[in-house]
Amino acid sequence: MSKLNVVGTSALRYEGKDKLDGKAMFPQDIKIDNMVYGATLRSTIPHGYFTLDLEEAKKHEGVLYIFTAEDVLGKNEHGVLFKDHEVFMSKKVKKIGDPLALVVAETEKQAKEAMAKIKVSYEELEGVFDPRIAIKDDAPKVHDKDNLIVDLHMKKGTVNFDACAYVVESEFEVPMVDHAFIQPESAIGYMEDGKVVVLCSTQYPHWDRFELAEALGIEEDKIQVLNAAVGGAFGGREDITSQIHVAMAAMKLNRPVKVTYGREESFLAHSKRHPMYFSMKLGCNEEGKLLAMESEIYADSGAYASWAPNILRKAMVHSTGPYEVENVSVDAYTVYTNNPFTGAMRGFGATQVAVGYEQMLDMLAEEAGMTVYEIREKNVLKVGSKLGTSQTMYDSIPVDRCLQTVKEGMELIKDIPENPSKLTGYGIACSIYGTGYGNGFPDVSNNNVKVNEEGKFEIYSGFTEVGQGAKTVMAQIAAEVFNVDSNDIEVFCEDTDITPDSGTAAASRQTYNTGNAVKKSCLKMKDFLLEKARIELELNNSIGLQMENHEIYMKTLPDKRVSNVELFKKYGSELETNASFTAQTTTLDAFGQGAPYWPYGFNALGVKVEIDPLSGRIDVVDGVFAQDVGRAINPRFIEGQMDGGFMMGLGYALYEDIGLKNGEMRNRKFSSYILPTSKDMPTLRKIIIEDPEETGPFGAKGIGESVTIPAAPAIMNAIYDACGIRFTKLPVTPIEFMKKFGVQDD
Amino acid sequence: MLIKLTVNNKPVEWDVSPEARLIDFLREDLNLTGTKEGCGEGECGACTVLIDGKAVNSCLVMAFQMDGKVIETIESVEPMTETIKETFLEEGAPQCGFCMPGMVLSAKGLLLENETPNRSEVKEAISGNLCRCTGYTTIEDAIIKSSEKLGGDNE
Repeated sequence: MSKLNVVGTSALRYEGKDKLDGKAMFPQDIKIDNMVYGATLRSTIPHGYFTLDLEEAKKHEGVLYIFTAEDVLGKNEHGVLFKDHEVFMSKKVKKIGDPLALVVAETEKQAKEAMAKIKVSYEELEGVFDPRIAIKDDAPKVHDKDNLIVDLHMKKGTVNFDACAYVVESEFEVPMVDHAFIQPESAIGYMEDGKVVVLCSTQYPHWDRFELAEALGIEEDKIQVLNAAVGGAFGGREDITSQIHVAMAAMKLNRPVKVTYGREESFLAHSKRHPMYFSMKLGCNEEGKLLAMESEIYADSGAYASWAPNILRKAMVHSTGPYEVENVSVDAYTVYTNNPFTGAMRGFGATQVAVGYEQMLDMLAEEAGMTVYEIREKNVLKVGSKLGTSQTMYDSIPVDRCLQTVKEGMELIKDIPENPSKLTGYGIACSIYGTGYGNGFPDVSNNNVKVNEEGKFEIYSGFTEVGQGAKTVMAQIAAEVFNVDSNDIEVFCEDTDITPDSGTAAASRQTYNTGNAVKKSCLKMKDFLLEKARIELELNNSIGLQMENHEIYMKTLPDKRVSNVELFKKYGSELETNASFTAQTTTLDAFGQGAPYWPYGFNALGVKVEIDPLSGRIDVVDGVFAQDVGRAINPRFIEGQMDGGFMMGLGYALYEDIGLKNGEMRNRKFSSYILPTSKDMPTLRKIIIEDPEETGPFGAKGIGESVTIPAAPAIMNAIYDACGIRFTKLPVTPIEFMKKFGVQDD
Repeated sequence: MLIKLTVNNKPVEWDVSPEARLIDFLREDLNLTGTKEGCGEGECGACTVLIDGKAVNSCLVMAFQMDGKVIETIESVEPMTETIKETFLEEGAPQCGFCMPGMVLSAKGLLLENETPNRSEVKEAISGNLCRCTGYTTIEDAIIKSSEKLGGDNE
């Protein structure tokens, strides 16, 4: 590959200055003349029939209208896979926080006061809150059908633990957690030029437009979705929250309608990470080669399916980790309960199972008398290895390089003197993450490129800048092709009216998928411009023409040149190209065999923990993190993802407890749902591992989710190293730690 | 209730509602929407502003209490604030950006008190500002770099 000028540099964030000046506009920051406000009434019981009495509320000062299920003009349903959500509940609530009505009034205060006057009568039904119980025939039914949403199975070879020299087994329980993006949901609906416009913060504007059309009963071309600034997402903005509500209200009242959630309502409204209950059994031969793995996984989907089958599939496929296991048998189930609904969250099932497989590896190493490095070195995926799906690994599989980098880094960390008043431990974990929707589903991104009258390049694509840096990365990819500065690329991604669909900002797919579409469309534009330049310069062909700083010239005769501005004057809007990219995957068969994702990203992480034996407080005080990126488009952004991803895993491991009981999240404020702060975060030694992926744009892979996966298992392994207690249930809060540590001491 | 105060170096006289918190006054009355609301209970720090040079959660104080005070928000263009913002950008601190206004003002509050903070002092100063994207590291780097640019000499 020729030398890269823009790819691989840490370009400054495209929209960074606006964010620092307070000028980036989130929906809650936007005011429109004549705007009115909505407040959403939500269910307070997890399961039961209800009726509403709106009379008193309707009379409240300032109230314009109260919307309920009866006001839905299209289908009263939405959902990313199955249409199992109702826009407003019609008869039965299935979880605490289901939307019952939207009160719209002149002021937010009036809307909330009126909402408090709505009388809700419930006929409570027995609820079910554990997927292992909900799956049984006699369990209460959340929807009017079986609670089992789907069962998946992955079978490779014949599992026979009798043939293994060493075998370990354990049960694991990983909790429901919240995305806790700092910007609560907000959306505005308004009418403009015969269209309904929805201004919101979403991960996928084009999908929202589709769901809006179905629920509003109008065509998609009568709907415009504008994506304002998005204050973090992590999967929690994939399912619709208030978008349909504000659109319905704007259409009915013909006034701009804004709905903004507070923190508690944000907890109630969006999805959560799936709790999973799973068993694992792992065996190896005398030399430590993995021969057999068996697992049974129960995932709690809560009241709605959201992405449940896809998340279960990702969990199942990733349950062997970045290791080759000869014989595999996994049975996986995802089940409705009356808990808050669960959906996409950073890692999408792969995060949950890593808490298991990485601890199993350490347990097996101990049985077999090997080090934690030896057992991994012996089994990590290499070019030619096969996953549990029998998919062959090829090209960029640098998991061993990640592991060796961490091994070296941990030696330096172990040289640092330990604090004698603390229990100190060291732990490592590796991980694997497969990019994209997967399973043969068409995973499509599109991009259009234009040249404007100033000669600048404009790219148009419906991806989302959720904070990960997609705008900057797409500009860098385009700039590399056109041989200009990335600041010179104009990026448009926020408006469904002017951008083609590029899929969701999820599954770590934007850099890979949309990056490929951007690169392809820019290469087409480059060829197109070179041909136009050939015509203008009256040359026989375009050989030896150089594109640089918005001009094209002959390398052998630089005076022979034409600028983009001149080409625009001649060809105008003809200067437009587009391209589409679809990832290559196949559908798994009934035995979970196939090539469900591509490419795979890897990493390895080592941490040092200190435990205060008196209080049970656990601190991660140092760490070394090696991340496979294919090729780094923007190294600084990658390091930012590594730090942020690690921190999300740190919260999962040690702090975040939603306090779920009988379907209620008792910890749904930031005063009780404890997120990691600056004081909890160590300064990680971060190493970017480059091994270009041949199908990626300039060799790049997505890393947004991969970075969070190894944190929790590495911390669990370090806790074991420090005190000899194996924690298989997260989070390990000081109380949970002392429960086991105290008992052990007695 | 009539209050007189200074906001971003400009004198302001306003009849505020007795129920309005400072954040409501800034966002709704003055249209300074750079100040963000993330939790409404003083836990996340997204609404941090400077009151007489001290970083304070604007969701926890009432607007009427601001009579005679000097307030700085993220919309301020004071040279020191601009230097901090510029350094945050260079260090790659902003990701989603929602916590950034509060972070920048907590950083300034610290640097006004302590020209040469070390990392643990920086961590302490922003420990009331939650960020879900960055892991805080680039933010801490940016604050230390800002102090160097502003003439502090961090050992």
